[in-house]
Amino acid sequence: MSVSGTTETSRPSEAPRRRLTRRQRHRLVLGGEYTVFLAVLLALVLLADWGTVRLNLANWDVAKQLFPDIITVGLRNTVLYTLLAYAFGLVVGVIVAMMRLSSVPPYRWFAMAFVEIFRGLPALLIIIFVGFGIPFAFSIEIPGGVVGQITLALGMVAAGYMAETVRAGIEAVPRGQLEAARSLGMSYGRAMRSIIIPQAFRIIIPPLTNELILLFKDSSLVLFLAVTLEQRELTKFGRDLTGQVGNTTPIVVAGLCYLLITIPLGYLVRRLEARQRRGLR
Amino acid sequence: MSLRRRIASGAGLCAAALLITACGGSTGATVQGAKLVREGRLTTCTHLPYPPFQSTQGGKIVGFDVDMIDLVAKKLGVTQQIVDTSFETIKGGAALNAGKCDVAAAGMTIKPERAKFLDFSSPYFNATQALMARKDAGIASLDDVRAKKLKIGSQGSTTGEDYVRSKGFDPQSFDNSAAELDGLRTGQVDVIVQDYPVVQGWLKDPANAKFALVANLNTGEQYGFAVKKDGNDKLLEIVNAAIAQAKRDGTYKRIYEKWIGPCQNCLPS
Repeated sequence: MSVSGTTETSRPSEAPRRRLTRRQRHRLVLGGEYTVFLAVLLALVLLADWGTVRLNLANWDVAKQLFPDIITVGLRNTVLYTLLAYAFGLVVGVIVAMMRLSSVPPYRWFAMAFVEIFRGLPALLIIIFVGFGIPFAFSIEIPGGVVGQITLALGMVAAGYMAETVRAGIEAVPRGQLEAARSLGMSYGRAMRSIIIPQAFRIIIPPLTNELILLFKDSSLVLFLAVTLEQRELTKFGRDLTGQVGNTTPIVVAGLCYLLITIPLGYLVRRLEARQRRGLR
Repeated sequence: MSLRRRIASGAGLCAAALLITACGGSTGATVQGAKLVREGRLTTCTHLPYPPFQSTQGGKIVGFDVDMIDLVAKKLGVTQQIVDTSFETIKGGAALNAGKCDVAAAGMTIKPERAKFLDFSSPYFNATQALMARKDAGIASLDDVRAKKLKIGSQGSTTGEDYVRSKGFDPQSFDNSAAELDGLRTGQVDVIVQDYPVVQGWLKDPANAKFALVANLNTGEQYGFAVKKDGNDKLLEIVNAAIAQAKRDGTYKRIYEKWIGPCQNCLPS
């Protein structure tokens, strides 16, 4: 009894130096983080001149005059350039992936060099090279004008990435599938076409969709080629209008138009990935 | 990390965040009543390359506009620093409003629609638009371009582009003047519209010997420097004084002959 008595009396004297329990500490830290976060938000809200911000970034009168052209010209061309480059890139990417897996060494070397070059260079550099370098050096015109140039340039960039994705997908298909197909009397090419590649594509649909999102954004670089009014995509459209109206609203609206496509695509990727995780492929 | 230290670092972060938001961009200076975004510097916005007004030679930016703004910098007792930004942010006032520079000097035509976003100086250069094409293109006017269905190129957001659009053309819009010239050289377009003095400058280069100035569009334009709209009257005054003084004391003529050519009625009024 006397022992418990001493501990009880000694507690109050220890109280100021008492350590917090883990739970209390956690709560305090969380509270501190929230306070910082709110203080920064509050500072932003209080210090910004919202009238000026709204006038410059979300000017309704300016935004109104962008429609419908920003959709019918800007977004349309952005989607068009993206899809053309994507299709081109996918075809080239599959071919390069097959070369990378080939038993012929020069094919493999070529495929590796291709991937390293087009994955390693900035998209803008390749676009300028295709737009100005190639016509200069070979004095040829790329068929299709700007549309052809952007398809080729962005398509090559996409192909560099997609070749590696496709290769990984093919390698992820169990080896037994190819062996079984061959033992059924299929040729190597036939087995690839009807057995391996379809299965590989199922595996790589999420990364390929991601590539589509990346390409969608990279299509903005077309503004460094020469485009007519009818060929303007979202970024060039927003940039031109921003200069004309002396206001950044067109850039904001163009940005929203990109999100209109990328957010649903991002959602789709998450869904596809979740489906794969559940093993319902 | 102890609790006390955590709270202290949290408070520090908070204070830092407040400081950043409160004191952002207050590194400028005031010289002779003119506000400058950077101390000891007159910062100029331009869109490179635009010879003979601004272009890079041997790692330095030189040209007619550079020499003119140097006169302003000298008056202020500071040195000129040039920053390169896209032309539509200059003509729309965004570059000046965002504090990227004190003055815009980019071979820019004074236009009422641009004056809504910028305060223009007095005119410092007489210019006009011209068409440039291969010597054997067989054209002498915009009508010929239309009749022969030739592809026309322009520089984005410029008066030349606006002009040919107003005449019903849909030019291929290049990002800068060098890209536009390359477009003509590679045959991407058959004819380009560009400011007369720029075309004149290009044609001095032997590399462009197969091209010629095929038509003068007589648009009668005048260039102006610009400062932030309603934001820097004192600097504008000093810019105007520098232009006026250069015209008076022969400096203007010297700079004109250095970059453009013989001065025949070259003084802008």
